[in-house]
Amino acid sequence: MTLNIIPKRKIWFTISIILSGLSIVYLMMWGLNFGIDFVGGSSLNVEFTNQSPSVTQVKEALSPLGLGSLEVQPSGDRDMILRFEEVDEATHHEILNKLNSIDYENYGELEELSFDSVGPSIGQTLKRKSFYAVFWVILAIIAYIAFTFRKVAQPIASWKYGITAVITLIHDCLIVLGVFSFLGHFYGMEVDSAFIAAILTVLGYSVNDTIVVFDRIRENLPKSEEDFAGTINTSVNQTIIRSINTSVTTMLILSTIVIWGGASVQGFALALLIGVFVGTYSSIFLASPLLVLWERKNNS
Amino acid sequence: MSEEKNIIEKIIKPDTARGRVWQVFVLIIILTLGGLLIDGGSYYNKGVDWLSQKTNEVVQLPKTKEVGFSLGLDLQGGTHLVYEADVSQVPAGREDSAVEGVRDVIERRVNVFGVSEPEVRKVRTSEGGYRIVADLAGIKDVNKAIEMIGKTPLLEFKEEGEMKAELTPDEKEELDKQNQEAEKKAGEVLGKALSGGDFSVLEQEYDEEKDGEDEWLDDATITDYLINLEKGSVYGDLIETNESYLIVKLLDKRTKVNEFTNESSKEVKASHLLICHNESEGCESDLSKENARVKIEEIKNKATIDNFDSLVRENSDEPGASQTGGDLGWFNRESMVKPFSDTVFDNQEVGTISYIVETKFGYHLIYKQDEREVVEYKVFDIAINKKLESDYVDPQMEWKNTELTGKYLESSQISWGRTGSAQVGLQFDDKGAELFGEITERNIDKRVAIFLDGELVSAPNVNEKITGGQAVITGSFSVQEAKEMTQRLNQGALPVPIKLISQKTVGPSLGANSVKNSLEAGMIGLILIAIFMIIIYRYLGLLAVLSLSIYGVLVLAVFKILSITLTLAGLAGFILSIGMAVDANVLIFERLKEEIRKGKEMTSAINDSFKRAWPSIRDGNFSTIITCIILILFTTTLIRGFAITLAIGILVSLFSAIVITKNLILLLPKKWINKKIIGIK
Repeated sequence: MTLNIIPKRKIWFTISIILSGLSIVYLMMWGLNFGIDFVGGSSLNVEFTNQSPSVTQVKEALSPLGLGSLEVQPSGDRDMILRFEEVDEATHHEILNKLNSIDYENYGELEELSFDSVGPSIGQTLKRKSFYAVFWVILAIIAYIAFTFRKVAQPIASWKYGITAVITLIHDCLIVLGVFSFLGHFYGMEVDSAFIAAILTVLGYSVNDTIVVFDRIRENLPKSEEDFAGTINTSVNQTIIRSINTSVTTMLILSTIVIWGGASVQGFALALLIGVFVGTYSSIFLASPLLVLWERKNNS
Repeated sequence: MSEEKNIIEKIIKPDTARGRVWQVFVLIIILTLGGLLIDGGSYYNKGVDWLSQKTNEVVQLPKTKEVGFSLGLDLQGGTHLVYEADVSQVPAGREDSAVEGVRDVIERRVNVFGVSEPEVRKVRTSEGGYRIVADLAGIKDVNKAIEMIGKTPLLEFKEEGEMKAELTPDEKEELDKQNQEAEKKAGEVLGKALSGGDFSVLEQEYDEEKDGEDEWLDDATITDYLINLEKGSVYGDLIETNESYLIVKLLDKRTKVNEFTNESSKEVKASHLLICHNESEGCESDLSKENARVKIEEIKNKATIDNFDSLVRENSDEPGASQTGGDLGWFNRESMVKPFSDTVFDNQEVGTISYIVETKFGYHLIYKQDEREVVEYKVFDIAINKKLESDYVDPQMEWKNTELTGKYLESSQISWGRTGSAQVGLQFDDKGAELFGEITERNIDKRVAIFLDGELVSAPNVNEKITGGQAVITGSFSVQEAKEMTQRLNQGALPVPIKLISQKTVGPSLGANSVKNSLEAGMIGLILIAIFMIIIYRYLGLLAVLSLSIYGVLVLAVFKILSITLTLAGLAGFILSIGMAVDANVLIFERLKEEIRKGKEMTSAINDSFKRAWPSIRDGNFSTIITCIILILFTTTLIRGFAITLAIGILVSLFSAIVITKNLILLLPKKWINKKIIGIK
């Protein structure tokens, strides 16, 4: 059984264009919900022995401190996450004292699970470093693919495989960013420095998937009796089971992290999960049809 | 001939292709066992103990060294602090050494906390700014740590306050008389307390201090008397301090714990033998370092507990050792240099002589005589105050602040006195020179004191007015001390204020929770993958699961061997690399099915499938490794942890797919492999 993937490429292009387009629109409308890693500020995670007080009680208790942009978010029965401006150590201490004095009898002892306070300059550094990292990863991948495919010059040049892989990975990252823009806007999902790691891994994963398909094309081209588009369609068919099986196993393990891994790695794993899914889709339905597009353009 | 070979010979010298497969298999087994030994060292050692116990110590297997995983801040709890050093006031070209100085100070302050492996780094940002990063894993009291780190070195110059008036003979007589009365009164109170009087009532009536009863003391001037006293009883004599006579009732005692680590504080009683050499500090010996080493090795060879004392008296280079026998008495960890403390507190049993310890003073042998936990005492006391000289003359601050501070110090360097001793030279700027001139002028024949961090460093006598802004601090410094002092003075002189710009603190329970959650998630994920692989690839799937388990064992062993710090992101990287390892297996199996479908014979199908799958596996994994290298080079600590574990995982997964899986498949008798069993319809 052979699937007609390449002949139906207009459908796949349309899906990809719609998804990327939507992502761009989301990003322009809402941007990303950057966490304190990027914009500076404090995040305090506390747990009460019995149960946590209400949001109003907490806000009332902390009002004398005049904290800018205080957000209180209960998490579970006994946990709370507080977000506010960057504070010094004395204020941090004061906040804990105030929290602990809210109806102590009722709510019990307060335990500080974690406290992050980040100055704005740190966020600047992170943004710059992330940008450079993404830039170098993309450059290195084009170079690597151009190098390993250097002997494949017909019917399209080896660097075109590199560019195609990069278009595919930009497509993948764009969609992950779009989904997080959506989640950030409606569900308060934050983008932190671990998210950058996830995006960079999606880059690597997406290329990995694309390369496997390209490799098969490289192998089949010299001995194939079909035309370019036909050869590609065969190659995609030969690798599709592998692509699906691999992404299913990877997604299985990522899903367990999303479900059971605890709050601190959930966002990270979710970004990877979406990235792996989109990466598998695009290696089959976007990268290979794009190669055919290059070839058609050469001929015309 | 081959039938005469036994199985071991076959494995060592294989003469068939199948023999070589067995050879690789044995190597894999050895590697796996080695990996298991590293991963589960503590279980193995327990097993060895159990076995030797069960067999009445007949079977004594060798033990393995136990290595733990090094857990990052987010997993074991702790704090990550980032300080920004403001170098705007520092003269150009000196920023780097100034910040280095600040880093050294912070490191010294941090070492006091007693956390395991504190890390303090100087970081240059790409904008040219300086940051200092302190990672304190496992610290309990973060607030106190921040407070102690944040103190900037403070240099002050002070002059003498008004001289204390001498007591007149009349006043002196009066003072003695009053104190005798105080002692007598205290004696009476003690008598009442000892004969069963209610202590609280007595305290209400007589105590002149009213300091409550909830203070824990470890001050030796008082507690030395209380060592053998039982809880609840009153010490049978008066305890005389500088200010008062005390009648003391012991309420409670407990082991003192380090407030940062929650470990009990220990004291050790030891004596030591020192052989110093011409490179070591404060040494008068001409011995070269090598010869000193030879000498101490000779002594070490003949030293026993019985002759240690006499060996010390004959040989030790420590001044006065011939009288003291090198006795150090009781001391705590902080009072000795680090290599010395590490040996005697961590690596030595009571009643033994140590290995040779090298410190900046030379080579030591240490005889550890005893060890005890430092005990704190809670006491209830009645103080009868003495009359003090200060009660007769005006109480007066002895040192008065002057306007001169580190702000006006331009630099400090080591200089050498006429006798060749080390001195600390000071150079003030113009304003400082002017102030210093004024201060010295009004303090001729008096002393001027130099305080660092509120502590008196030196109080030299002023002989004449000093102009030109130069001064020298003389004293009996060693070169090292003088060097440290100039360094500290330069820190005081260079105004490098630091500001805490980021703090990430994770409580210990959250850390433990994260470890638990991610381990659970990882386990469930692994089981799901195993089920999936076995359903899809049947027999081959089973082999893949086996090969993946070996993969897991090996990766964890590599983490331990390279002491990779595991963070939450690092665990995620590891879990993701499992996915990558599965991918390599899937690629090979799909290829194998294809080759078999083409009707190839089994062995060549297996070999071809590996050969054909390799370019894809290589290119895919290499591109991920390139990503990892870039992440390691360009990003922050958190992401770096992720990239390192992912990279290690990928490298090991290549090995696991190409060597282990292939070997396991080849190992199967060919007739066992048929289409059905590997999932071809």
